[in-house]
Amino acid sequence: MFNIVSLIFKYIFIIIIYLFILSIIRLIYLDIKGIDTKALNNASYLKLVNRKDTLPFKVKEYYPLDKEVYLGRGKDNQIVIRDPYISKRHLKIVEDEGNYYLEDLGSANGTYINEERILDVVKLKNGDRIRVGQIEFLYVGRE
Amino acid sequence: MFNKMVSYKYPRNLLMLFELLALFLLFIYSKDNLNKFTFIYGIGLILIVYVSNFLLLRISTGDTYIFLIVTMLISIGLIMIYRIDPLLGIKQILWIGMGIFIFFLTYLVFKNIKGWEEWTYFYGIGSIILFIITLLFGSRIRGAINWISIGGLSIQPSEIIKLLTIFLIASYYTRYEHFKKQKYGSYYLIATTYLFILFLFLQRDLGTVLILYTLFIALQFIYEENRRLILYNLLFSIVSGFLGYLLFPHVRIRFETWLNPWKYIDNKGYQITQSLFAIAEGGFFGTGLGLGHPDFIPEVHTDFIFSAICEEMGIFTGMGIIMLFLILVYRGFKIGINQKIKFYRIVAIGISILFGIQSFIIFGGVLKMIPLTGITIPFVSYGGSSMLSSFIALGILQVASEELDFEEAKDG
Repeated sequence: MFNIVSLIFKYIFIIIIYLFILSIIRLIYLDIKGIDTKALNNASYLKLVNRKDTLPFKVKEYYPLDKEVYLGRGKDNQIVIRDPYISKRHLKIVEDEGNYYLEDLGSANGTYINEERILDVVKLKNGDRIRVGQIEFLYVGRE
Repeated sequence: MFNKMVSYKYPRNLLMLFELLALFLLFIYSKDNLNKFTFIYGIGLILIVYVSNFLLLRISTGDTYIFLIVTMLISIGLIMIYRIDPLLGIKQILWIGMGIFIFFLTYLVFKNIKGWEEWTYFYGIGSIILFIITLLFGSRIRGAINWISIGGLSIQPSEIIKLLTIFLIASYYTRYEHFKKQKYGSYYLIATTYLFILFLFLQRDLGTVLILYTLFIALQFIYEENRRLILYNLLFSIVSGFLGYLLFPHVRIRFETWLNPWKYIDNKGYQITQSLFAIAEGGFFGTGLGLGHPDFIPEVHTDFIFSAICEEMGIFTGMGIIMLFLILVYRGFKIGINQKIKFYRIVAIGISILFGIQSFIIFGGVLKMIPLTGITIPFVSYGGSSMLSSFIALGILQVASEELDFEEAKDG
């Protein structure tokens, strides 16, 4: 009796171990694909704080910032996030003399920096947490 | 669709399924002397592992794979140890429970205390004190003095010394500029390392010598500015290898049994030949748990657990273990590359090298690829000291995987 169970189980064990390894490799692969390190060398960037697999839509782990960046649900933005709680054109971040300024473009659900809803243009500091819709970003500034 | 299926939950649930099946199988195996406590321990461990994996995702913002991989390795090792000797298996469960607790403790301590890189002298002096204690109070087991017993508990100080050495090297290279200004400053580290190696030679603990040497040369290769020193070190390691061969008879025995164990099959080469027989007997899928004879190999629960796993669970499981170690070491290096603080970066790389070299030496030794050196496989073999120190190392690696420079900037 035990012999038969043991013989069956040895195959099941091997299958489980390999499925485990494959799923971890796949998760690591998905992580690597999400990081575009080339663009991040010196520029300031937004880093996703949420765990990627808890969100039902596509979002990248890092977004490098440019001279002028729009974020929203619409296709014409530089950062497109298909979160239903984000407006078509939600906010913009502009660079001026090395500093980055965030402006909410009259979105329905608003933009929060460090849990405070912003009303006009705000200068971003290193370590600010920006919340839009269901997601939260960390602003990492580089001089 | 596949993307959605593979989430962090998937490997966690697979691990749980694996452990439950194994528990079930081990129960049928030892149904003659069933014990209520074993069952409670088994279920308890499965729950602890599941909850820790779950908790870690919430607590830590860093790497989420290393702990998963390690819990898988632990499960495979534990199944085998329990099958070889149920009593040792229960002890191992207790060690694992303590190890996981220490992992979280290390994580909290290492994360919340700053300034680890300042204590260079403390690491050096601490290791030397441990060495002296071992020499004075240690007992000789199988040719090497590396155990001291305090009140019935035997511990192996060299496991802690390995971690202290990593810290020492890391803090030295973090404060490299400071040491370079002093006279002969760049020779301090080499002098200390050779002092350690001298102590280990006195204890005849040559496995640890090999590990320390590799760690030291690898980290020196990455960070040393005076490149000539590396060459000297390499030369010196070859010389001390020869010296070891000439001075110690048990090194010579290891070498002879590596070259041709079949000549000494009835005495010196018995262990290694039994290990080879066991691996060959298992084949690709193994004989099945409880159907092989791993107890023919001496020391099967510590150094030779890999052969036992290969015999009963198959070469495929053996390759799986090697692959798990590969991913673990790869993650460790990646953590090191991503870390911005130099001290944590060197520590992360050092710990990855430690895991990598330890598993390489013993896998190679058991498979007769390199001369056998008796050390434990981290997380798989039976052993309290090794389990606890490996978990401390893992906790440190977990801290190093987080973005730490950022939190400092916020404070200041």
